[in-house]
Formats: sequence, structure tokens, C-alpha cells
Amino acid sequence: MNQKNNFDRSNIMVIAQPDHPFYSTILKNYQVKSIDEAMNSFETCELVIDLSPLRTQKKFLFLKELTKTTKAPILSDLTLCWGEWIIKYCPQVQAGLSTLFYSPKSAFEYCLINKNDKAILNVIFEFADLVGHKCIEHKDLKLSFHYPRTIAMIINEAYFALGENLAKAQDIDLAMKNGVNYPLGPIEWGDKIGLHNVAQLLDELNTVTKDDRYRLSTELKLNALKNF
Amino acid sequence: MELKKIIIIGAGTMGQGIAQWFTQQNLEVELVDLNYDFAQESLKKIFQSFDKLKNSGKLEADAVESFKKKIYVKKMNEIDSNADLVIEAIIEKMEAKTKLFSDLDLLMKKNTILASNTSSFSITQLAANLSLERQSRFIGIHFFNPATIMKLVEVIKGIETDSDLATSLIDWFNQRKKIACLCSDSPGFIVNRVARNFYGEALRAAGNFDPEKFSEIDSVLKEVGGFKMGPFELMDLIGIDINFSVTQSIYDSTFQEVRFKPHSLQRDMVNARRLGRKTGKGFYSYESKE
Repeated sequence: MNQKNNFDRSNIMVIAQPDHPFYSTILKNYQVKSIDEAMNSFETCELVIDLSPLRTQKKFLFLKELTKTTKAPILSDLTLCWGEWIIKYCPQVQAGLSTLFYSPKSAFEYCLINKNDKAILNVIFEFADLVGHKCIEHKDLKLSFHYPRTIAMIINEAYFALGENLAKAQDIDLAMKNGVNYPLGPIEWGDKIGLHNVAQLLDELNTVTKDDRYRLSTELKLNALKNF
Repeated sequence: MELKKIIIIGAGTMGQGIAQWFTQQNLEVELVDLNYDFAQESLKKIFQSFDKLKNSGKLEADAVESFKKKIYVKKMNEIDSNADLVIEAIIEKMEAKTKLFSDLDLLMKKNTILASNTSSFSITQLAANLSLERQSRFIGIHFFNPATIMKLVEVIKGIETDSDLATSLIDWFNQRKKIACLCSDSPGFIVNRVARNFYGEALRAAGNFDPEKFSEIDSVLKEVGGFKMGPFELMDLIGIDINFSVTQSIYDSTFQEVRFKPHSLQRDMVNARRLGRKTGKGFYSYESKE
């Protein structure tokens, strides 16, 4: 559990890859390290914000290595992970974040482990503010964050429909925007998020739950590999 | 394509909206319902809507007077067999629809287009018992509620539907500020199919009856996802029974495709008569506290 009342931004280490949507903004405000750099770094820091886009197993192994180099509390992006599992087995993780998926409203979900930890909450608010986003609380993280799992399923279905020649991509987007007021069509939404991210999340949900509802459409897989 | 006169059969919410929209495109419209008095009531509501639009300055007085002369109620046995297009918007029951289309096939001139506003049945199946010539002039035209406001029209081509007819109808709608999208004849068409997991995934994230969780999921999908309404408040608005029945229908029509599998919470809500706003309680409660 975190013992500090507040954290100085200059002592916060952010782990992020250049393709993270916030990367350029983070660079201006934090000391940023790549995954490899973070695992080999023994510089002291008070807190770690880990934005690595890893799935459950790799995330766990990465966090295990990371915690050999630092005892600092960790806020970890769990967009592509089975959140509940990571929280249970990685006690240094004090909050889960979901920053990887593009949000039309510039907002992301977070889950605070100790609801009374004001210092960690302040770090999340400050981080959100610096990257120009709002943060919305997800109280009890189970399988996955709400927004990524829902939008990933909608995008996957649009790709199933494309694969079956139900309609053209442009018509699917037009239909969802004008029939049910979606802010973006699912095909363009997938492009904004990055189809490889959508594919990774669905594949992870499929692996964890063994539920066939999360199986990837071959059309999505095809296009995700193209963008990867 | 030139359309001058159309017949709308079924004067419920959808039929009424579709009839009003076509009237506002300067077409002559016959509104028909099995219940004649009900159709007259619907016509009255359309006239009230015209007056409201006139009073708010959205329609000219002359236009409103002209529209009121273009739409009228007819009994089924009085409809004009020379109309260019007939759109069916009756109850979602296969038997009722196929019987109606068989009658229309015999009654209407050979060039008349027959269309269904169905949201759940196969267009090919609805046309299966019609004459071969008519099958090529049979199409799905799926409007969204309220039909006068929502721009989308799904144009659904059955296996036997003439491709040129579909293209011409799409052009016709697009020229009149609708957004018409062509889709093939598959369960749920585009919108009802692709939107299914907006509800399905939210129901699985909630798991069981937990209004606090419903509220959290609704907030996240509005505040992060940018959706106008969250899935639970939207299901309450649509009617949980209606939403459940659409899901069930798509699930059944796809030979139990697991992606469309309904959630037990939907069934439990329907069994508990918590159907949403219309019964005062659904995922949320709307009963006034006195």
C-alpha cells in the first residue's frame, strides 16, 4: 500500500512506447522510459506510471521484473489485460488505467485499488489533466474496462458484417452514425484505435474466458495484421 | 425513379412517421390500418404534427395546407391498385405479413413495388410466395424512429430483388435528404446487428441486477465512448422486452451464433415486468417518489 501523501512529478517515471496515443504529451511532462529501459533502470523514482500495451501474461512478467528494480507504487495500463488478475497478483499495482483506446470524448477509465488513497488519485487526475483527458472511475475492475471491451465487440461485429458482404464499409459507418447516433462509424473507430489493439483485446478476452463470443472475425484479423 | 402515390399499411408509430415523411416529399399517401378508427387517430396526429411545424416556422402555411390534402385514410378494400409503392409497417408477425403481401401481389398492378419496414424478418422469405415478377419488385425499406427525423434508411435487397430497383430507391432517398444504405438480406441488417453488443457486452460487464454498476457503465460509455445514451438507459427507453426480442430473433436467425446470445438478466427483467420507462421501472426506477 502507498505510504506517501503526495508525489512530485519529477520523481514519477512513465513507461511508454512511441505509438502510445499520449506519447508526445507525456514526453513534455514526465521522464519517459521504454519497456526495455525501465527493466534495466535502477534510478530511484517515487511512482511508476506503466503504459506498456501488454496482455495479461506479458504484463505480469514485465511487472515482476520491474518490481525487482523499484519498490515504488505502480499505476498500470490494463487495457489489454485481465485486470482483476493483475491486481490480485501484482500488489505494487495501486491503480489500473485504460489509456490505450482512442476516446471520442478525450477521456479514460481508471480503477483505484485503495479508494481512500488521495495521493494516487491526485497523480491520476494530474496525469489526465496533462494529457488533456478526463478520467472516469471504474470502481471494481473484473475482466476488463467497460469502454474497450464494448467498442471492440462493436468493431468486430462490423468486420464480421464486412467479411460477409453485408454492406460496404462506408455504408456500415453511415448506418451506425445516422441510425443510432454513434459518434463514429465502427470501421473508422477501429482505424482510430488501431485494429491491432482491438484484435489484441478480443484475443485476450477469448483466451481468458474461452468464450467464443470474443473470437476475432477473419476480416478484422486480416486488416489488423496489415496495420501491425 | 418517379414515385407519385404510395400506400402505407400499418398506422402505428412507424407507419405514421413514414406516412408523414412521404407526404412532406409531396407524394400522395394512403394510410391504411386493419383498425380504421386507429388510422384516423394517426392521421389526426400527423395533422397536429404539421400544425406544430407550421407554428414553429419550420413549414410554410401553404405547404401544410397542401400536405393535408395529399394524405388520407383508406380501408384495405379501397386502396388504389395503381399506387407506385406499398410499404408495410404492421405487427412483426411473419404470418400476418406474408398474408398481406400475398393479397397485395394479386391486387396491385404489376409494376408496383412492395416493401416491408420489418426490422427482423428476411426479405427473401417474406417474398417467397409471391409471383416471380413481384419478387423482383419486393424490397426492404427499413426506417428508424422517428422516421421524420432520423436520416437513415436501410434498403435491403432480397435474393430475387432487382438490383436496379435497389439502386434507384437509394438514389431517390438520397435526393430527399435521407441517407440510404444498401445492405444484403441478413438478420438484423446493419444497425440492429452491429449494435447488438453495445447491449450484450454491457450486460455481461454488469453480470446481475446492480443499478450502481448500470450507472457506472452508462457513464463510461457516454463520457469515454461518446455515445449519446448508455446501454442501460437506452434499453429502458426502447423497452427491455423489445430489445430482448430483437436479440433473441437475431440469435435464432443465425443458428444460435454465440455473439448474439441474449443475457439471462434480459429475460429476468422481462419476467419481472421491469420493462423500462413504459412500466415505470427497468434497469433504473422511474416511479415518482411521493
